[in-house]
Amino acid sequence: MASPFGAQAPQGGLNIVVMDPAHGGTDPGARGTGGIRESEIVLDFAIQVRRALELQGFQVVETRQGNENPSFDDRSATANAQRGAVFVSLHISSTGLPGTVRVYVNSDLPPLADSNGLIPWDRAQAPFLGLSRTFGDLVQGLLVQRFKGSPETAQTASVRQLRTTAAPAIAVEISSVTVEDRADLDRMAPGVADAIARGAAAFKPAYVVPNSPGALP
Amino acid sequence: MTPRWKFWLIGGLVTAVLAAAIYFPILRRRVKRAARLQQQSEEQARRELTQPIVVNPGDPRVKTKLFWASDTIDSTLVPVTVELPLSNDPVLRSKQVLNTLLAGPVDAELRTLPPDALLLAFYLLPDGTAIADFSEALATSIPSGIVSEQLAMNSITRTLEANVPQVRRLKILIHGQEVETLAGHLDLTGTFVVNTGSPQSPAADKTPAPAPGPLTPEKAPGKLAQPERKP
Repeated sequence: MASPFGAQAPQGGLNIVVMDPAHGGTDPGARGTGGIRESEIVLDFAIQVRRALELQGFQVVETRQGNENPSFDDRSATANAQRGAVFVSLHISSTGLPGTVRVYVNSDLPPLADSNGLIPWDRAQAPFLGLSRTFGDLVQGLLVQRFKGSPETAQTASVRQLRTTAAPAIAVEISSVTVEDRADLDRMAPGVADAIARGAAAFKPAYVVPNSPGALP
Repeated sequence: MTPRWKFWLIGGLVTAVLAAAIYFPILRRRVKRAARLQQQSEEQARRELTQPIVVNPGDPRVKTKLFWASDTIDSTLVPVTVELPLSNDPVLRSKQVLNTLLAGPVDAELRTLPPDALLLAFYLLPDGTAIADFSEALATSIPSGIVSEQLAMNSITRTLEANVPQVRRLKILIHGQEVETLAGHLDLTGTFVVNTGSPQSPAADKTPAPAPGPLTPEKAPGKLAQPERKP
Protein backbone atom coordinates (compact mmCIF):
# COMPACT_ATOMS: atom_id res chain seq x y z
CA MET A 1 0.00 0.00 0.00
CA ALA A 2 3.00 2.30 0.00
CA SER A 3 3.08 5.04 -2.52
CA PRO A 4 4.19 3.70 -5.88
CA PHE A 5 5.29 7.12 -6.93
CA GLY A 6 8.65 8.64 -6.60
CA ALA A 7 8.53 11.71 -8.73
CA GLN A 8 10.29 14.75 -7.38
CA ALA A 9 8.67 18.13 -7.54
CA PRO A 10 10.09 21.55 -7.00
CA GLN A 11 9.97 22.86 -3.46
CA GLY A 12 7.92 25.80 -2.26
CA GLY A 13 4.20 25.55 -2.85
CA LEU A 14 2.06 25.17 -5.89
CA ASN A 15 4.31 24.99 -8.92
CA ILE A 16 2.84 22.43 -11.26
CA VAL A 17 -0.34 22.26 -13.26
CA VAL A 18 -1.21 18.84 -14.62
CA MET A 19 -3.25 19.41 -17.73
CA ASP A 20 -5.49 16.68 -19.03
CA PRO A 21 -6.82 16.97 -22.57
CA ALA A 22 -9.69 14.50 -22.34
CA HIS A 23 -10.33 11.49 -24.58
CA GLY A 24 -7.99 10.69 -27.50
CA GLY A 25 -6.98 7.58 -29.41
CA THR A 26 -10.02 5.50 -30.28
CA ASP A 27 -12.20 7.74 -28.11
CA PRO A 28 -13.01 10.97 -29.98
CA GLY A 29 -15.27 12.29 -27.21
CA ALA A 30 -18.04 14.62 -28.34
CA ARG A 31 -18.47 14.93 -32.11
CA GLY A 32 -20.10 17.77 -33.97
CA THR A 33 -21.98 17.45 -37.21
CA GLY A 34 -19.26 19.43 -38.95
CA GLY A 35 -16.65 16.82 -38.09
CA ILE A 36 -15.44 18.59 -34.96
CA ARG A 37 -13.90 16.14 -32.50
CA GLU A 38 -13.52 16.94 -28.83
CA SER A 39 -10.30 14.91 -28.56
CA GLU A 40 -8.60 17.07 -31.21
CA ILE A 41 -9.82 20.45 -30.04
CA VAL A 42 -8.79 19.95 -26.44
CA LEU A 43 -5.24 19.29 -27.63
CA ASP A 44 -5.24 22.65 -29.41
CA PHE A 45 -6.67 24.33 -26.32
CA ALA A 46 -4.00 22.64 -24.21
CA ILE A 47 -1.23 24.34 -26.22
CA GLN A 48 -2.63 27.77 -25.39
CA VAL A 49 -3.36 26.91 -21.77
CA ARG A 50 0.18 25.64 -21.38
CA ARG A 51 1.62 28.85 -22.78
CA ALA A 52 -0.52 30.99 -20.46
CA LEU A 53 0.41 28.88 -17.42
CA GLU A 54 4.12 29.07 -18.22
CA LEU A 55 3.82 32.84 -18.43
CA GLN A 56 2.49 32.70 -14.88
CA GLY A 57 5.56 30.71 -13.84
CA PHE A 58 4.00 27.25 -13.64
CA GLN A 59 5.53 24.02 -14.81
CA VAL A 60 3.02 22.14 -16.96
CA VAL A 61 2.73 18.37 -17.13
CA GLU A 62 0.34 16.91 -19.67
CA THR A 63 -1.45 13.58 -19.45
CA ARG A 64 -1.23 13.26 -23.22
CA GLN A 65 0.37 15.27 -25.99
CA GLY A 66 -0.74 13.28 -29.00
CA ASN A 67 -3.62 11.16 -30.17
CA GLU A 68 -3.50 8.56 -27.43
CA ASN A 69 -6.01 7.71 -24.74
CA PRO A 70 -4.50 7.01 -21.32
CA SER A 71 -6.89 5.35 -18.87
CA PHE A 72 -8.58 7.41 -16.17
CA ASP A 73 -6.22 5.86 -13.61
CA ASP A 74 -3.14 6.58 -15.72
CA ARG A 75 -4.15 10.21 -16.02
CA SER A 76 -4.72 10.43 -12.28
CA ALA A 77 -1.40 8.69 -11.66
CA THR A 78 0.35 11.45 -13.60
CA ALA A 79 -1.16 14.01 -11.24
CA ASN A 80 -0.77 11.96 -8.10
CA ALA A 81 2.96 11.55 -8.71
CA GLN A 82 3.49 15.31 -8.45
CA ARG A 83 3.91 17.40 -5.36
CA GLY A 84 2.55 20.89 -5.39
CA ALA A 85 0.23 20.36 -8.33
CA VAL A 86 -3.29 21.12 -9.38
CA PHE A 87 -5.16 19.14 -12.02
CA VAL A 88 -7.17 20.61 -14.90
CA SER A 89 -9.15 18.33 -17.24
CA LEU A 90 -10.17 19.98 -20.53
CA HIS A 91 -13.43 19.05 -22.28
CA ILE A 92 -15.72 20.25 -25.07
CA SER A 93 -19.39 19.39 -24.57
CA SER A 94 -22.02 18.17 -27.02
CA THR A 95 -24.67 20.43 -25.56
CA GLY A 96 -25.07 23.65 -23.66
CA LEU A 97 -25.17 27.26 -24.78
CA PRO A 98 -22.36 27.73 -27.34
CA GLY A 99 -19.77 30.22 -26.18
CA THR A 100 -20.10 29.38 -22.49
CA VAL A 101 -17.69 27.53 -20.21
CA ARG A 102 -18.43 25.51 -17.09
CA VAL A 103 -16.02 24.47 -14.38
CA TYR A 104 -16.81 21.27 -12.47
CA VAL A 105 -15.58 19.92 -9.20
CA ASN A 106 -16.34 16.41 -8.05
CA SER A 107 -19.47 15.66 -6.05
CA ASP A 108 -19.11 15.00 -2.36
CA LEU A 109 -17.36 11.77 -1.51
CA PRO A 110 -17.59 9.93 1.83
CA PRO A 111 -14.93 10.82 4.38
CA LEU A 112 -11.78 8.75 4.39
CA ALA A 113 -12.26 5.51 6.23
CA ASP A 114 -8.97 3.69 5.73
CA SER A 115 -7.65 2.72 9.15
CA ASN A 116 -4.07 2.62 7.84
CA GLY A 117 -4.09 6.33 7.13
CA LEU A 118 -3.83 5.64 3.42
CA ILE A 119 -5.95 7.51 0.93
CA PRO A 120 -8.05 4.95 -0.97
CA TRP A 121 -7.30 5.32 -4.66
CA ASP A 122 -10.94 5.29 -5.65
CA ARG A 123 -11.67 8.25 -3.37
CA ALA A 124 -8.40 10.11 -3.73
CA GLN A 125 -10.22 13.36 -4.42
CA ALA A 126 -12.16 13.29 -1.13
CA PRO A 127 -9.69 15.25 1.07
CA PHE A 128 -9.14 17.80 -1.71
CA LEU A 129 -12.78 18.67 -2.39
CA GLY A 130 -12.69 21.94 -0.48
CA LEU A 131 -9.53 23.04 -2.25
CA SER A 132 -10.95 21.97 -5.60
CA ARG A 133 -14.03 24.08 -4.92
CA THR A 134 -11.89 27.13 -4.09
CA PHE A 135 -9.79 26.63 -7.23
CA GLY A 136 -12.85 25.97 -9.38
CA ASP A 137 -14.69 29.07 -8.16
CA LEU A 138 -11.65 31.23 -8.92
CA VAL A 139 -11.38 29.94 -12.48
CA GLN A 140 -15.15 30.07 -13.08
CA GLY A 141 -15.27 33.65 -11.76
CA LEU A 142 -12.70 34.67 -14.35
CA LEU A 143 -14.42 32.72 -17.13
CA VAL A 144 -17.82 34.33 -16.58
CA GLN A 145 -16.26 37.76 -17.09
CA ARG A 146 -15.25 36.75 -20.61
CA PHE A 147 -17.94 34.29 -21.58
CA LYS A 148 -21.36 35.69 -20.75
CA GLY A 149 -23.99 33.12 -19.87
CA SER A 150 -21.47 30.91 -18.07
CA PRO A 151 -22.21 30.06 -14.44
CA GLU A 152 -20.75 32.35 -11.78
CA THR A 153 -19.44 29.55 -9.58
CA ALA A 154 -18.11 26.06 -10.20
CA GLN A 155 -20.67 23.28 -10.69
CA THR A 156 -20.71 19.90 -8.99
CA ALA A 157 -20.79 16.65 -10.94
CA SER A 158 -19.68 13.05 -10.56
CA VAL A 159 -16.80 13.32 -12.98
CA ARG A 160 -14.98 10.00 -13.15
CA GLN A 161 -11.62 11.56 -13.95
CA LEU A 162 -11.61 13.76 -10.87
CA ARG A 163 -12.50 11.05 -8.34
CA THR A 164 -9.09 9.34 -8.36
CA THR A 165 -7.02 12.52 -8.44
CA ALA A 166 -5.21 13.40 -5.21
CA ALA A 167 -4.84 17.12 -5.84
CA PRO A 168 -7.08 20.15 -6.20
CA ALA A 169 -8.82 19.13 -9.42
CA ILE A 170 -11.29 20.71 -11.82
CA ALA A 171 -12.82 19.85 -15.17
CA VAL A 172 -13.33 22.73 -17.59
CA GLU A 173 -16.01 22.07 -20.23
CA ILE A 174 -16.46 24.41 -23.17
CA SER A 175 -19.73 24.55 -25.12
CA SER A 176 -19.85 23.09 -27.64
CA VAL A 177 -19.01 20.91 -30.65
CA THR A 178 -22.34 21.96 -32.16
CA VAL A 179 -20.93 25.29 -33.37
CA GLU A 180 -21.20 25.57 -37.13
CA ASP A 181 -17.69 26.87 -37.57
CA ARG A 182 -14.75 25.50 -35.64
CA ALA A 183 -13.28 28.99 -35.58
CA ASP A 184 -15.96 29.88 -33.02
CA LEU A 185 -14.32 27.47 -30.61
CA ASP A 186 -10.78 28.46 -31.57
CA ARG A 187 -11.59 32.06 -30.70
CA MET A 188 -12.45 30.98 -27.16
CA ALA A 189 -9.08 29.35 -26.50
CA PRO A 190 -7.09 32.46 -25.45
CA GLY A 191 -9.79 33.51 -22.97
CA VAL A 192 -10.07 30.02 -21.51
CA ALA A 193 -6.29 29.73 -21.25
CA ASP A 194 -5.96 33.10 -19.55
CA ALA A 195 -8.72 32.33 -17.02
CA ILE A 196 -7.17 28.99 -16.08
CA ALA A 197 -3.69 30.50 -15.72
CA ARG A 198 -4.87 33.49 -13.71
CA GLY A 199 -7.10 31.24 -11.61
CA ALA A 200 -4.16 28.97 -10.80
CA ALA A 201 -2.02 32.00 -9.91
CA ALA A 202 -4.76 33.35 -7.63
CA PHE A 203 -5.13 29.93 -6.00
CA LYS A 204 -1.39 29.54 -5.38
CA PRO A 205 -1.14 31.50 -2.11
CA ALA A 206 -4.15 29.67 -0.69
CA TYR A 207 -2.73 26.18 -1.19
CA VAL A 208 -0.21 24.90 1.32
CA VAL A 209 1.32 21.93 -0.42
CA PRO A 210 1.56 18.61 1.45
CA ASN A 211 5.00 17.19 2.18
CA SER A 212 4.87 14.27 -0.21
CA PRO A 213 3.08 13.25 -3.40
CA GLY A 214 -0.38 11.97 -2.73
CA ALA A 215 -0.38 13.25 0.84
CA LEU A 216 -3.44 14.65 2.58
CA PRO A 217 -3.82 18.38 2.23
CA MET B 1 -4.10 -18.99 -78.75
CA THR B 2 -5.69 -17.94 -82.01
CA PRO B 3 -6.96 -14.40 -82.47
CA ARG B 4 -10.51 -15.76 -82.58
CA TRP B 5 -10.14 -17.34 -79.13
CA LYS B 6 -8.56 -14.16 -77.79
CA PHE B 7 -11.54 -12.21 -79.08
CA TRP B 8 -14.04 -14.52 -77.37
CA LEU B 9 -12.03 -14.56 -74.13
CA ILE B 10 -11.73 -10.77 -73.90
CA GLY B 11 -15.36 -10.40 -74.92
CA GLY B 12 -16.42 -12.81 -72.16
CA LEU B 13 -14.35 -10.98 -69.55
CA VAL B 14 -15.79 -7.60 -70.55
CA THR B 15 -19.32 -9.02 -70.35
CA ALA B 16 -18.60 -10.45 -66.90
CA VAL B 17 -17.24 -7.12 -65.65
CA LEU B 18 -20.27 -5.25 -67.01
CA ALA B 19 -22.66 -7.75 -65.44
CA ALA B 20 -20.85 -7.44 -62.10
CA ALA B 21 -20.96 -3.65 -62.30
CA ILE B 22 -24.71 -3.76 -62.80
CA TYR B 23 -25.40 -6.48 -60.24
CA PHE B 24 -23.09 -5.25 -57.45
CA PRO B 25 -25.16 -2.16 -56.47
CA ILE B 26 -28.32 -4.29 -56.46
CA LEU B 27 -26.61 -6.84 -54.23
CA ARG B 28 -25.39 -4.10 -51.91
CA ARG B 29 -28.90 -2.67 -51.60
CA ARG B 30 -30.26 -6.13 -50.75
CA VAL B 31 -27.58 -6.70 -48.09
CA LYS B 32 -28.30 -3.30 -46.56
CA ARG B 33 -32.03 -3.98 -46.54
CA ALA B 34 -31.48 -7.36 -44.90
CA ALA B 35 -29.25 -5.78 -42.24
CA ARG B 36 -31.87 -3.12 -41.59
CA LEU B 37 -34.60 -5.70 -41.24
CA GLN B 38 -32.47 -7.68 -38.82
CA GLN B 39 -31.80 -4.55 -36.78
CA GLN B 40 -35.50 -3.73 -36.72
CA SER B 41 -36.41 -7.21 -35.60
CA GLU B 42 -33.83 -7.05 -32.79
CA GLU B 43 -35.24 -3.73 -31.69
CA GLN B 44 -38.75 -5.14 -31.97
CA ALA B 45 -37.76 -8.13 -29.85
CA ARG B 46 -36.21 -5.84 -27.25
CA ARG B 47 -39.32 -3.71 -27.11
CA GLU B 48 -41.54 -6.77 -26.79
CA LEU B 49 -39.42 -8.02 -23.91
CA THR B 50 -39.56 -4.68 -22.17
CA GLN B 51 -43.10 -3.61 -22.87
CA PRO B 52 -44.23 -0.71 -20.74
CA ILE B 53 -45.80 -1.71 -17.52
CA VAL B 54 -49.44 -2.55 -17.98
CA VAL B 55 -51.47 0.13 -16.33
CA ASN B 56 -53.83 -1.24 -13.76
CA PRO B 57 -57.09 0.68 -14.00
CA GLY B 58 -57.44 0.24 -10.26
CA ASP B 59 -54.25 2.20 -9.60
CA PRO B 60 -55.00 5.61 -8.19
CA ARG B 61 -54.25 8.55 -10.46
CA VAL B 62 -51.69 10.69 -8.71
CA LYS B 63 -49.88 13.88 -9.53
CA THR B 64 -46.46 12.79 -10.72
CA LYS B 65 -43.43 15.05 -10.99
CA LEU B 66 -41.18 14.33 -13.93
CA PHE B 67 -37.93 16.21 -14.41
CA TRP B 68 -37.10 17.28 -17.94
CA ALA B 69 -34.88 20.03 -19.31
CA SER B 70 -35.89 23.64 -18.85
CA ASP B 71 -36.77 25.56 -22.01
CA THR B 72 -35.66 28.84 -20.49
CA ILE B 73 -32.53 28.16 -18.45
CA ASP B 74 -29.72 26.32 -20.18
CA SER B 75 -28.82 22.86 -18.86
CA THR B 76 -31.18 22.84 -15.91
CA LEU B 77 -34.15 20.68 -14.99
CA VAL B 78 -37.71 21.69 -14.25
CA PRO B 79 -40.45 19.54 -12.75
CA VAL B 80 -43.46 18.85 -14.95
CA THR B 81 -46.53 17.58 -13.11
CA VAL B 82 -48.71 15.04 -14.87
CA GLU B 83 -51.47 12.82 -13.56
CA LEU B 84 -50.66 9.14 -13.92
CA PRO B 85 -52.16 5.93 -12.58
CA LEU B 86 -49.33 4.73 -10.33
CA SER B 87 -49.01 1.49 -8.43
CA ASN B 88 -48.38 1.52 -4.71
CA ASP B 89 -45.72 -1.13 -5.19
CA PRO B 90 -42.40 0.78 -5.27
CA VAL B 91 -40.84 -1.39 -7.99
CA LEU B 92 -43.84 -1.13 -10.31
CA ARG B 93 -44.17 2.55 -9.50
CA SER B 94 -40.48 3.16 -10.29
CA LYS B 95 -40.87 1.38 -13.62
CA GLN B 96 -43.96 3.43 -14.43
CA VAL B 97 -42.34 6.79 -13.72
CA LEU B 98 -39.04 5.89 -15.43
CA ASN B 99 -40.84 4.62 -18.53
CA THR B 100 -42.81 7.86 -18.65
CA LEU B 101 -39.58 9.81 -18.24
CA LEU B 102 -38.00 7.81 -21.08
CA ALA B 103 -41.02 8.43 -23.29
CA GLY B 104 -40.09 12.09 -23.04
CA PRO B 105 -41.94 15.38 -22.85
CA VAL B 106 -44.22 16.77 -25.53
CA ASP B 107 -41.40 19.00 -26.73
CA ALA B 108 -38.72 16.52 -27.80
CA GLU B 109 -36.08 19.23 -27.44
CA LEU B 110 -36.54 19.07 -23.68
CA ARG B 111 -35.92 15.36 -23.26
CA THR B 112 -33.01 14.37 -21.07
CA LEU B 113 -32.71 10.72 -22.09
CA PRO B 114 -32.22 9.23 -25.57
CA PRO B 115 -35.50 8.31 -27.28
CA ASP B 116 -34.30 4.78 -28.03
CA ALA B 117 -33.18 4.01 -24.47
CA LEU B 118 -35.17 1.36 -22.62
CA LEU B 119 -35.52 0.38 -19.00
CA LEU B 120 -34.74 -3.33 -19.07
CA ALA B 121 -35.15 -4.13 -15.39
CA PHE B 122 -35.61 -2.49 -12.02
CA TYR B 123 -34.92 -4.00 -8.62
CA LEU B 124 -35.27 -2.65 -5.12
CA LEU B 125 -33.28 -4.12 -2.24
CA PRO B 126 -34.61 -4.06 1.33
CA ASP B 127 -32.12 -1.34 2.32
CA GLY B 128 -33.59 1.03 -0.26
CA THR B 129 -30.89 0.52 -2.87
CA ALA B 130 -32.45 0.38 -6.31
CA ILE B 131 -30.82 -1.07 -9.40
CA ALA B 132 -31.98 0.24 -12.76
CA ASP B 133 -30.80 -1.65 -15.82
CA PHE B 134 -31.02 0.35 -19.04
CA SER B 135 -30.41 -0.68 -22.62
CA GLU B 136 -27.14 0.26 -24.29
CA ALA B 137 -28.78 3.17 -26.04
CA LEU B 138 -28.70 5.12 -22.77
CA ALA B 139 -24.91 5.17 -23.02
CA THR B 140 -24.45 5.19 -26.78
CA SER B 141 -27.13 7.68 -27.82
CA ILE B 142 -26.71 10.28 -25.11
CA PRO B 143 -24.74 13.35 -26.15
CA SER B 144 -21.25 12.98 -24.70
CA GLY B 145 -20.31 15.61 -22.13
CA ILE B 146 -20.35 16.34 -18.42
CA VAL B 147 -23.32 18.66 -18.66
CA SER B 148 -25.55 16.34 -20.70
CA GLU B 149 -24.64 13.19 -18.77
CA GLN B 150 -25.18 14.88 -15.41
CA LEU B 151 -28.50 16.29 -16.61
CA ALA B 152 -29.65 12.81 -17.65
CA MET B 153 -28.71 11.28 -14.32
CA ASN B 154 -30.25 14.13 -12.35
CA SER B 155 -33.51 13.72 -14.25
CA ILE B 156 -33.63 10.04 -13.27
CA THR B 157 -32.72 10.51 -9.61
CA ARG B 158 -34.92 13.54 -9.06
CA THR B 159 -37.90 11.87 -10.71
CA LEU B 160 -37.48 8.83 -8.48
CA GLU B 161 -36.98 11.04 -5.45
CA ALA B 162 -40.20 12.93 -6.13
CA ASN B 163 -42.34 9.87 -6.69
CA VAL B 164 -40.88 6.81 -4.97
CA PRO B 165 -39.80 7.62 -1.43
CA GLN B 166 -38.70 4.03 -0.81
CA VAL B 167 -35.74 4.45 -3.18
CA ARG B 168 -32.80 5.76 -1.22
CA ARG B 169 -29.89 5.04 -3.55
CA LEU B 170 -29.67 4.14 -7.21
CA LYS B 171 -27.21 1.97 -9.07
CA ILE B 172 -27.20 2.18 -12.85
CA LEU B 173 -26.40 -0.82 -15.04
CA ILE B 174 -26.10 -0.79 -18.80
CA HIS B 175 -27.47 -3.96 -20.39
CA GLY B 176 -26.90 -5.85 -17.16
CA GLN B 177 -23.30 -4.74 -16.79
CA GLU B 178 -21.57 -2.30 -14.50
CA VAL B 179 -19.82 0.37 -16.55
CA GLU B 180 -17.25 2.96 -15.56
CA THR B 181 -18.96 5.98 -17.09
CA LEU B 182 -22.21 6.84 -18.80
CA ALA B 183 -20.68 8.27 -21.99
CA GLY B 184 -17.09 9.02 -21.05
CA HIS B 185 -17.60 11.44 -18.16
CA LEU B 186 -20.20 10.66 -15.53
CA ASP B 187 -19.08 8.12 -12.96
CA LEU B 188 -21.37 5.07 -12.79
CA THR B 189 -19.20 2.87 -10.60
CA GLY B 190 -21.08 3.62 -7.39
CA THR B 191 -24.57 4.50 -6.29
CA PHE B 192 -26.34 7.84 -6.51
CA VAL B 193 -28.17 9.19 -3.50
CA VAL B 194 -31.81 9.66 -4.45
CA ASN B 195 -33.67 10.90 -1.44
CA THR B 196 -31.75 14.06 -0.52
CA GLY B 197 -32.83 16.21 -3.41
CA SER B 198 -29.38 16.61 -4.88
CA PRO B 199 -27.83 13.54 -6.49
CA GLN B 200 -24.48 12.75 -5.02
CA SER B 201 -21.40 11.18 -6.40
CA PRO B 202 -21.19 7.46 -6.89
CA ALA B 203 -19.89 5.85 -3.73
CA ALA B 204 -21.51 8.67 -1.82
CA ASP B 205 -23.79 7.32 0.84
CA LYS B 206 -25.87 8.67 3.64
CA THR B 207 -22.67 9.58 5.41
CA PRO B 208 -22.53 13.34 5.84
CA ALA B 209 -20.35 15.09 3.34
CA PRO B 210 -17.01 16.37 4.61
CA ALA B 211 -16.80 20.00 5.52
CA PRO B 212 -15.06 22.29 3.05
CA GLY B 213 -11.40 21.43 3.14
CA PRO B 214 -8.98 23.62 5.04
CA LEU B 215 -6.34 25.51 3.17
CA THR B 216 -3.55 24.31 5.41
CA PRO B 217 -2.27 20.78 6.09
CA GLU B 218 -4.32 18.91 8.65
CA LYS B 219 -2.56 15.89 10.00
CA ALA B 220 0.36 13.69 9.24
CA PRO B 221 0.49 13.17 5.50
CA GLY B 222 -1.01 10.00 4.17
CA LYS B 223 0.01 8.02 1.14
CA LEU B 224 -1.95 6.85 -1.81
CA ALA B 225 -3.03 3.26 -1.93
CA GLN B 226 -2.29 1.33 -5.12
CA PRO B 227 -4.93 1.70 -7.80
CA GLU B 228 -6.94 -1.36 -8.62
CA ARG B 229 -6.23 -2.17 -12.22
CA LYS B 230 -8.87 -3.72 -14.32
CA PRO B 231 -7.78 -6.25 -16.91
